[in-house]
Amino acid sequence: MKSDRELTLSEAIREAYVEEMRRDDRVFLIGTSIEAGTFPHTKGLADQFGASRVLDTPISEPAMTGCAMGAAQEGLRPVVDYMYAGFAYCAGSEVFLQAAQYHFLHGSQHPLPMVMVGTCGVGRRVANEHATLPYGALIHHPGLKVCMPSTPYDAKGLMKAAIRDDNPVFFLWHTSLMMLKGPVPEEDYVVPLGVADVKRSGSDLTILASGLQVGNALKVAAKLAPEFSIEVIDPRSFEPFDRECLLKSLEKTHRLVIVDEDFERGGFAAEVMAQVMEHGYDLIDAPVKRVCHPHFPVPGGYIDAYTMPTPERIEAAVRGALEA
Amino acid sequence: MALSNQHDVELFRTLVRAMALDRLMMRLIRAGRLVGFYHEGGVALAPGVAAGFFLDKDDIMWPHYRAHGVAHMLSKRVDVKPYFAEHLGRTEGCCKGRSSFHASFPADHIFGSSGNIGANFPASVGYGFAAKRKSLGQIVMNCSGDGSYGSGRAHEALLMCANWKLPVIFWCEANGMAQHSSMDQLFPTPNISNLAAGYGIPSHIIDGQDLFACAEAAQLAIAHVRAGKGPIFIECKTLRAQEHSVGGVNYAGTTPRDPELMREWKEERNPETLAAAALVQQGLLAQTDVDAIRAAAESEADAIEHYCESLPKALPSIEDLQSAVYA
Repeated sequence: MKSDRELTLSEAIREAYVEEMRRDDRVFLIGTSIEAGTFPHTKGLADQFGASRVLDTPISEPAMTGCAMGAAQEGLRPVVDYMYAGFAYCAGSEVFLQAAQYHFLHGSQHPLPMVMVGTCGVGRRVANEHATLPYGALIHHPGLKVCMPSTPYDAKGLMKAAIRDDNPVFFLWHTSLMMLKGPVPEEDYVVPLGVADVKRSGSDLTILASGLQVGNALKVAAKLAPEFSIEVIDPRSFEPFDRECLLKSLEKTHRLVIVDEDFERGGFAAEVMAQVMEHGYDLIDAPVKRVCHPHFPVPGGYIDAYTMPTPERIEAAVRGALEA
Repeated sequence: MALSNQHDVELFRTLVRAMALDRLMMRLIRAGRLVGFYHEGGVALAPGVAAGFFLDKDDIMWPHYRAHGVAHMLSKRVDVKPYFAEHLGRTEGCCKGRSSFHASFPADHIFGSSGNIGANFPASVGYGFAAKRKSLGQIVMNCSGDGSYGSGRAHEALLMCANWKLPVIFWCEANGMAQHSSMDQLFPTPNISNLAAGYGIPSHIIDGQDLFACAEAAQLAIAHVRAGKGPIFIECKTLRAQEHSVGGVNYAGTTPRDPELMREWKEERNPETLAAAALVQQGLLAQTDVDAIRAAAESEADAIEHYCESLPKALPSIEDLQSAVYA
């Protein structure tokens, strides 16, 4: 689907909210200071839909998550917005144990359609709760679907898919991509959860990258284009994960670098490496490399600019994998 | 128990210094020199100055995040230069330039701050428990705003502190706002201190623009918890005359807050000018003394700025950081 119209990633999410709220009156938003439109993706929605569809809460993450869960069990389709995903850690039990495990534990008899939304990402100097990416922890807990867009187009489509999904979906977006502009069709479309996207075709090596890191991967691919042909794949959702798309790429390239801005240990990159070993061992001609946030807490100050995956670190890993 | 003349003057001097340093933070963030963000204190710093003023070095304090706790730290006689260095991402920062705005002064028994609102409450239960267990006479000054009582953790802490009779002061700097929502929209009670009654915790409501009233309340609260009577709740009614976070919207729900009212608060409810007028009227200070205190505070702010700017940025290697994770 092509479009000449450009929106920011925030505006794309907002448009998904508006369209889904118009389409289905069971959909509602809940979050701290959501009426004021703290971030641009909720701007003006309280005026448009009223206080019964855009619920302003105290700074009460467990209660707003539990409210979403209870309302979902009673047939509504809530979207709980934490502003920063790091604030959702306050609702750990509700996210990881209650919402994630409800459907399975209770005999797989009743859906739990709720979306949890939060920004995250390293590189804005603020550390800890305003930066930490939670997707490694989220995918570790069965029952949650987890996605993160790298373009406004994907943001609108993924959000619409998340709202229509009958499971708890954690929709992450990168704080540094909030104002990223890109084409977004006006018409209704979804980007299904579990479908990766080849952002650049290539034949020598595959980079798997998400969110902000897709841009860094594309920079590296463009820079190395005179020497190497690099494919860049954005999984778009971490769970479900589109393994087939990756394996198909490895049939061509036989080399893989995974860029993961989340912590290194036990994270998404490690999971992908394990799956490649289990399902694509014969396709691989060189050790798989990962470029992650090193195994220390996300720092603030001037430090996070070089501790996050940078084009330089990605290029070094790519060259290492190509020379192996 | 009362404020001495010397207390009055020192409280005033501390407030003048705190407000000068708040303005320094504003200059720095507007110039793009702070790492991370800033939550202006403005005319809301009298409670913070009172909160730390009568504490001993060994007493434990969690500063409120408005003005990033500078008023609280100054009044507890903490050297704030390393905190400014931290905000500028310098090696000499109190967390070696790696925390952005997260404070830590373990030697002064200030262990934290968090962007997760309400994080202070469970920690304060621990501070209170340790103080009681160690029996060294320490107390806990748990500072927060009213908005943080939206967190269930606040209620859990009220319960446990009351039940265990812990020496914890719930010092609430109630500005009527929680980020971009007004408290009357979010809370069913006009006074946040009403919550304390359910836990059997005594409470007092104070004019948070009146520096000396705040200080007397701090004296009273400290005497109460030091005497082993369990927690006490002090609600200082103050004002947020600007947006929540510098550069953000200044809304209450969907409604922009009245700029005329903000201006009026800054001019007519400014605790610094109110305190100065009171001290001059009582004859404790001449206007020239007030001017000198203000000039000294500006010089202190300039000196801190120059000191921080002279320091190298903290740019540790990844290997150094990797070896810094575990004790």
